[in-house]
Amino acid sequence: MDTNASHRLRRRLLKAAHFVGLFLAMAVICLPGLWIVLSSLRPTVEIMAKPPVWIPETLSLDAYRAMFSGAGQGGVPVWDYFRNSLIVSVTSTVIALAIGLSGGYAFARYRFKAKSAIFLGFMLTRAVPGIALSLPLFMLYARTGIIDTHFSLILTYVALNVPFTIWLIDGFFRQVPKDLAEAAQIDGCTPWQAFWQVEFPLAGPGIASAGIFAFLTSWNEYALASQITRSVNSKTLPVGLLDYTAEFTIDWRGMCALAVVMIVPALTLTFIIQKHLVSGLTFGAVKG
Amino acid sequence: MKLSKLSAPTLLLLPAFIVLAVFIVLPLMFSLYSSFTPFRLTKPDTLWVFIGFRNYVNVLTNAEFWVAFGRTVLLLTIALNAEMLLGLGLALLVNKATRGQRILRTAMMFPMMFSPVLVGFQFKFLFNDNIGFVNNALQSLGLTDRAIPWLIDGNLALFSIIVAEVWSSTAVFAILILAGLLAMPKDPVEAAHVDGCTPWQTFRYVTWPYLMPFAFIAMTIRSLDVARAYDIVKIMTDGGPAKRTELLWTLVGRTAYGDARMGLANAMAYVAILLSIVFTVYFFRKLAAARQQIGAEW
Amino acid sequence: MNRLLSGVSAGVIMLVCAMGAASAADLPGKFEGVTIDAKLIGGQQYEKLYERIGEWEKATGAKVNILSKKNHFELDKEIKSDIATGGITWCVGSNHSSFAPQYPDIYADLFGLIPSEEVARFVPAVIDASTLEGKLVMLPRAQFDVSALYYQKSLYQDEAKKAEFKAKYGYDLAPPDTWAQVSDQAEFFAAPPNFYGTQFAGKEEAINGRFYEMLVAEGGEYLDKDGRPAFNSEAGVRALDWFVKLYKSKAVPPGTTNYLWDDLGQGFASGSIAVNLDWPGWASFFNDPKSSKVAGNVGVKVQPAGSSGKRTGWSGHHGFSVTESCGSKEAAASLVWWLTNEDSQMLESAAGPLPTRSAVWDHNIKAAEGDAYKTEVLQAFQEAAKHAFPVPQTAEWIEISNAVYPELQAAILGDKTSKEALDAAAEKATGILEDAGKL
Repeated sequence: MDTNASHRLRRRLLKAAHFVGLFLAMAVICLPGLWIVLSSLRPTVEIMAKPPVWIPETLSLDAYRAMFSGAGQGGVPVWDYFRNSLIVSVTSTVIALAIGLSGGYAFARYRFKAKSAIFLGFMLTRAVPGIALSLPLFMLYARTGIIDTHFSLILTYVALNVPFTIWLIDGFFRQVPKDLAEAAQIDGCTPWQAFWQVEFPLAGPGIASAGIFAFLTSWNEYALASQITRSVNSKTLPVGLLDYTAEFTIDWRGMCALAVVMIVPALTLTFIIQKHLVSGLTFGAVKG
Repeated sequence: MKLSKLSAPTLLLLPAFIVLAVFIVLPLMFSLYSSFTPFRLTKPDTLWVFIGFRNYVNVLTNAEFWVAFGRTVLLLTIALNAEMLLGLGLALLVNKATRGQRILRTAMMFPMMFSPVLVGFQFKFLFNDNIGFVNNALQSLGLTDRAIPWLIDGNLALFSIIVAEVWSSTAVFAILILAGLLAMPKDPVEAAHVDGCTPWQTFRYVTWPYLMPFAFIAMTIRSLDVARAYDIVKIMTDGGPAKRTELLWTLVGRTAYGDARMGLANAMAYVAILLSIVFTVYFFRKLAAARQQIGAEW
Repeated sequence: MNRLLSGVSAGVIMLVCAMGAASAADLPGKFEGVTIDAKLIGGQQYEKLYERIGEWEKATGAKVNILSKKNHFELDKEIKSDIATGGITWCVGSNHSSFAPQYPDIYADLFGLIPSEEVARFVPAVIDASTLEGKLVMLPRAQFDVSALYYQKSLYQDEAKKAEFKAKYGYDLAPPDTWAQVSDQAEFFAAPPNFYGTQFAGKEEAINGRFYEMLVAEGGEYLDKDGRPAFNSEAGVRALDWFVKLYKSKAVPPGTTNYLWDDLGQGFASGSIAVNLDWPGWASFFNDPKSSKVAGNVGVKVQPAGSSGKRTGWSGHHGFSVTESCGSKEAAASLVWWLTNEDSQMLESAAGPLPTRSAVWDHNIKAAEGDAYKTEVLQAFQEAAKHAFPVPQTAEWIEISNAVYPELQAAILGDKTSKEALDAAAEKATGILEDAGKL
């Protein structure tokens, strides 16, 4: 009886400790984000106050109002940036997935010469720092006249995302038993039909997880975008953030407001896909 | 056309191959070439002057470069290890939670939604010595009456950068390790329990070996991606003050565009690429080994 | 053939000049069907002016196509990339006096494109600062920057403080007129971690510029007349010691070596800084209760003098340039003129920045009558502008800045003595100039 009681006590303590730990961890993760949301709602004088003002005295949507108003009143072309970001991120993610699907399938289903060397080579292209790519890419695009277009940015992000996409999808296809597709073919499917109707649906979560990684990379990329984009034709949100910095000033409140606009869609998407994401990574990445 | 004569894997790999060749390898060849010239952005003609290995000699004999190199390795080592430990802890905590998994997992990935540029600004403000959140909090709580110069003191500045980096990237480890935890068969853990193992022993000898490949995957992804930290460091300190936080990337970035000495910068960049290749190949090997081990057990 | 061509183009240029000279009164002119590609500096305080582009389009019949709008450093990067790829296909670009010497060749001489009586309406010193090797490479807009001293008035009205200061330093406490006084007062007012005497920009071109102006005020030279770095002189050590001393005595915030302009402005606005050398753009920000805790308590004074009796006065200004490769230089010059004419400067300077046309100065001072703060600001900055001088006009200025500033920081933080740091910096700067073939 006594041991039982102490056991129960220990269980409860552990549970409490777990709760506290989880709470603290989540606080550390989320506080900076909440701080950004809060900063976007407070007047600058309060954000920068010394001694600090802990409890906000006034909250307003002024920063958001200013952001959406015209040039000269503190406005930035949010809609253009948002549209550019969305077009570029979604398109490049879809293309990267398509290429990754075919490449990953090849690695998972076929034997060929120097397979692991090629695989490693593909992965290493991701190790190139953006700064080493930015000028040559710029020259390439300037010469071909596609600078400051969605097209050039999409191609760049496809190249950035393909290696990781191939990796995740490769791992995932290895999980799908070969026999399934073969069985389908015996049942009269063409190889093409067998792929789309049998193997592809099973690889769904892997594709979802590769997709979200690719999407977030494109959505948040700055170093290359700052070089390739020039005007509202193609400037994306991360580059747009820098509109709030001028030679002498940073409008931190405005920047926070734009940051919120940037984070919310990404967060929503992640929330929707996260279930697939976890299971996708589970099967996809490891069992190689 | 002859296309159909190509074997299936070649055909399937062709798109990836073309994309990577045109948009990564081709530009890299150009960088490589220009690293043998005194190429200055403001003097385009200098691109056609060949100076052999002079840039490389300059780079490799430059003490500042090696200091920055060493500091980069140090930063990577500390940051990656801290991220892995914290990511593991976070994944275990979230996995144990009985309710609100969906919310918790999304929240866990929250920092991944932040563009590195934004992370840089955010932590620059948090660590501002005069009006920053951290000092204000410490002073209000009465823990210090000094204005701690977070971004000035060499060690503190590096620490602040690591905090920012860890905050923004722990999520990658956490999510991958969580995936591993979910995939783990339940029987071995229960068996260990029955055999009277302590929770620590269970973790050390049963759970951890399963998780290792996931940790290495995360390591590999991160070491591939780590130059993203450039945006963060650039905004927080840009290598300063007095080069106390100078990293390879800030050095390369400033030489390339500020000083406009592209040739020299590309030579530096090549040495930097070598570094990330070494890191990546190392983790890749580890990953392959860990996979084989598990493959045998699963 | 070649000679014929150059003969023809010389003729065209002469024609253009002649037309320009004749048409001073009928600027902006008519350019039906012409499209001008432009790269402009973006950012809140610069945007308002661009609304006037539409009016110019209506008046001239030309179109303006804005290729990019970016902040200064990004724009500089972009222009350098364009030069590298031979991609200067645009006509009008924003320019800045600190960046301009890096790319003198790509911009056309505006002396030949803008009627001389129009050029004469600008403040002469600013036109000098926009002239590189006899070429007027840009027409200044109303974004002239020179720093004056902002201070918290109440500190100088406290009788107890006054008496204490007099007893300690032997002279009356009043807004400082020399940098030695600033140093005394900064130490006197400082009460870390909540209050500091002063502050300074601590990195990149900013600290190098502050050091440069202090060097001049101490009677030194940055580059000697042969273009050789000469800042490691005794005057240089004195100048750098001024920063070192303040840092050591904790009279400035410990983070100051990581501060750039925004941190400084926010710092003064937060009420935790006594005196602050800063740019004109902050004047209204500091006195606005919505953005500043010191609103209503701000005094402005001409910048102090160094031991040589000369005042500091590192200045810079924005302008617009016409590219050498532009297909319709006349139209481009007309646009540049339009964006810097009296109406434009009045519009832009109404928000706070300093104009570069004499008439607009007069107009603004008149308009500020009755507003004591605005009048004080304008008078202080008009006085400040008289002592202004640009950075040394060498293409390597930014590169030298990048090499020098870590050494300045090292001295300020105590890693090196001032002399050691300056010697090391001078050696690096000499190397850069040698590499560039200038020495």
